[in-house]
Amino acid sequence: MLSHVNISLESLNIATLVPMLIPIVGALFILVLDLFKKDQRKSMYVMLSLLFVMLDFGSLIDSSIDFNTNGTILGYFDMMLVDGLALLGQFIIVGASILFIPLALTSKRFHEFSYPEFFALFLFMISGFQFMVATDNLILIFIGLEMASLALYTLIALHNRSKSFEAAVKYFTMGALAAGFFAFGSMVLYALTGSVEIHQMAAVFNADEFANLPFILVGVVFLLAALGFKVSLVPFHTWAPDVYEGASASMAGYMSIVPKIAGFVVVMRMFEFLIHSGVVWLNVVLYAIVIVTMTAANIWALVQSDVKRMLAYSSISHAGFVMAAILIGTTQANSALFLYWILFTFTNLGAFSMLWISRQKNLAAGQSSDHSYNKFAGLIKVAPISATIMALFMLSLAGLPPFALFWGKIYMISAAVSSGYVVLALIMALNSAIAGYYYLKLIIYMFMKEPEIDIESKVYTMNSSVSLRTIIGIAAVGTVFASIVVNPLIEFITAFVYNSGY
Amino acid sequence: MMEIGLTHYLVLSTVLFSIGLLGVMRRKNLLMLFFATEILLNAVNVGFAAISHYYNDLTGQMFAFFIIAIAASEVAVGLGLLIAWYKRHGNINLDAMSSMRG
Repeated sequence: MLSHVNISLESLNIATLVPMLIPIVGALFILVLDLFKKDQRKSMYVMLSLLFVMLDFGSLIDSSIDFNTNGTILGYFDMMLVDGLALLGQFIIVGASILFIPLALTSKRFHEFSYPEFFALFLFMISGFQFMVATDNLILIFIGLEMASLALYTLIALHNRSKSFEAAVKYFTMGALAAGFFAFGSMVLYALTGSVEIHQMAAVFNADEFANLPFILVGVVFLLAALGFKVSLVPFHTWAPDVYEGASASMAGYMSIVPKIAGFVVVMRMFEFLIHSGVVWLNVVLYAIVIVTMTAANIWALVQSDVKRMLAYSSISHAGFVMAAILIGTTQANSALFLYWILFTFTNLGAFSMLWISRQKNLAAGQSSDHSYNKFAGLIKVAPISATIMALFMLSLAGLPPFALFWGKIYMISAAVSSGYVVLALIMALNSAIAGYYYLKLIIYMFMKEPEIDIESKVYTMNSSVSLRTIIGIAAVGTVFASIVVNPLIEFITAFVYNSGY
Repeated sequence: MMEIGLTHYLVLSTVLFSIGLLGVMRRKNLLMLFFATEILLNAVNVGFAAISHYYNDLTGQMFAFFIIAIAASEVAVGLGLLIAWYKRHGNINLDAMSSMRG
C-alpha cells in the first residue's frame, strides 16, 4: 500500500516555475480571449504576446538576483534546477523571442498571423525551451524538447506555402526520429545508473569509474545524436537547409537561434562530466563532429545559389564552431559559448529580418528562388540603405573586427588556445576565413554587379513597417556597437557560469 | 523452465527499436513512417518498464507514461501535417517531397 504523502508547500519552491508559467498563462489567455471576442486585430495579439514575454524576462531578472545571493535553487522535488546556465539560456531564449515577435507586424498580410493560435503556440514553445534548460532531469528535458518542437512544426506549417508544408513534414520526421533516439539514450543510461538525473548519473559513473564503458558510450551516442538533430551537427543536419528555405524568413531566423541555445545548454550539462572523465574515445568523437560540422557546412555554403540556404549552412557552421566550447570544457570556453550566441543572435536576427523585409509574393522572371543571389545583384543602385545594412550583417557574420561576431570568435579561439587546443584553434580560424568567402560573395553581388533581373525597387522593402525597421535598427546597433558592451557582458556571463560550477 | 529476466526485456526492446529505426529509414509512405516512429518510442517504453521493475524504482514507469503522452501528441501533429499535405498534393509519398534541393 502507498503510505500517506505529505509535502509542505515551501519545499516545492514554486518560484522556480514562475518564468515558465508566465508564457503558458499568456498562451491560454490569448486562446480564451479569442473565444470571447473573435477577429481581434493582429497587432493586439502581437502586443499581448510581447507583454507576456517581457513579464517573463522580468521574472528571469528577479530569479537571477535570487541566484546571485543564494546560489543554485532547486524546486519541485529537485526537478527544477535554476543555476547560472539555466538563467543565461533563458535570457537568450526569452530575449530573442522579444526581438522576433514584432516581426509579425508586417505591412503585407500573412495567413498565419491572422490566427491567435499562432501566438499561443509561440508562447507554448518559449516555455518548452525554458523547461528544457532549467532542469537536469532527463524526463523534463524530453518533455520541454517535445513541447517546443511540436509547436515549432506547426508554426512552420502555418506559413501557407507548398514549400512550408514540405519543410514542416521533413522537420517533423527528423524530430520524431530524434525523440526516439533521446528516449533510447535515456533508457540505456537509466538502466546503468537507476536514475534519470544527470548529476546522479555522473556520481554513479564516477563511483564505479566508468565500469560499463561500452554501454555508457551507446547511451551517450544516442543522446548526442538526438541533440545533434536539434542543434544541427553535421551528420544530423540534413533537414536544416530545406526547413530554413521552406519556413518564413522570420521563423527561420528564430530557428537558427533559440532551439540551438536550448540544445547547447543540455549538451553542456550532459558532457560536463563526460569530457572531464578522461574517456579518450568520447573526446575523439566530439572533436571529429566539431571539425566536420564547421568545415563541411562551410564548403556546402560556398556552392549555394540562394541566400537563405547559404545562411542555413552558415548557421550549421556556427553551431559547429560553438560546439568546440563544449569539447574544451573550461569555464572560459563555456562563457565564450554564451557570449558568442548572444552576439550571433543580434547578427542573425538582422540578416534574416533583411530577407523577411524583401519577401515577394511572386518570383520575377529569371529568379530561381525567393532569395536567390541574383535578386540582390546591384542592390546598391536600387536600394542603397538596404544594401549597406545587409552588408553590415554579412561582415559581422564573417567576423570582421569592429563588428559583433569578431569578439565572439576571438574569445572562443583564445579559450581554445589557453587550454592547449592549438590545432583546434587553427582550424577554427581557418574556417572563419573560408566562411568569409561566401559572405563577401553576397556583398560583391550587391555592390559590384549590375542588376541582373528586372525587379522593381519597392520589392526590397516590400514588407517594411515601423516595427520591422525598428528590429533591424536594434540588430544593426547591437552589431556595430558590440565592442563597447563585450567586456561587461563577459564578466556577467563568467560570473553566472562559474557560480554554477561549469 | 527458464526465468524471464531483465536481459530478455532489454533485448526485446532493442530489437523493437531496430525494427522501428529500419522502418523510419526505409519507408516512403508517410503514414507507415509515423507507425515506425511509434514503434521506436514504444520499444523504449518496454525497456523503461522492465528496468523500473528491476530497480524497484518508479521513475522509469513515470518516464514511460510521459513517452506515451508525447507519442500521442506527436501523432496528432503528424496526422495534421499529413492531411494538410494530402489535400494539396493528393499523395503521401515521401519521394514527392523534393521541391527543395541543393
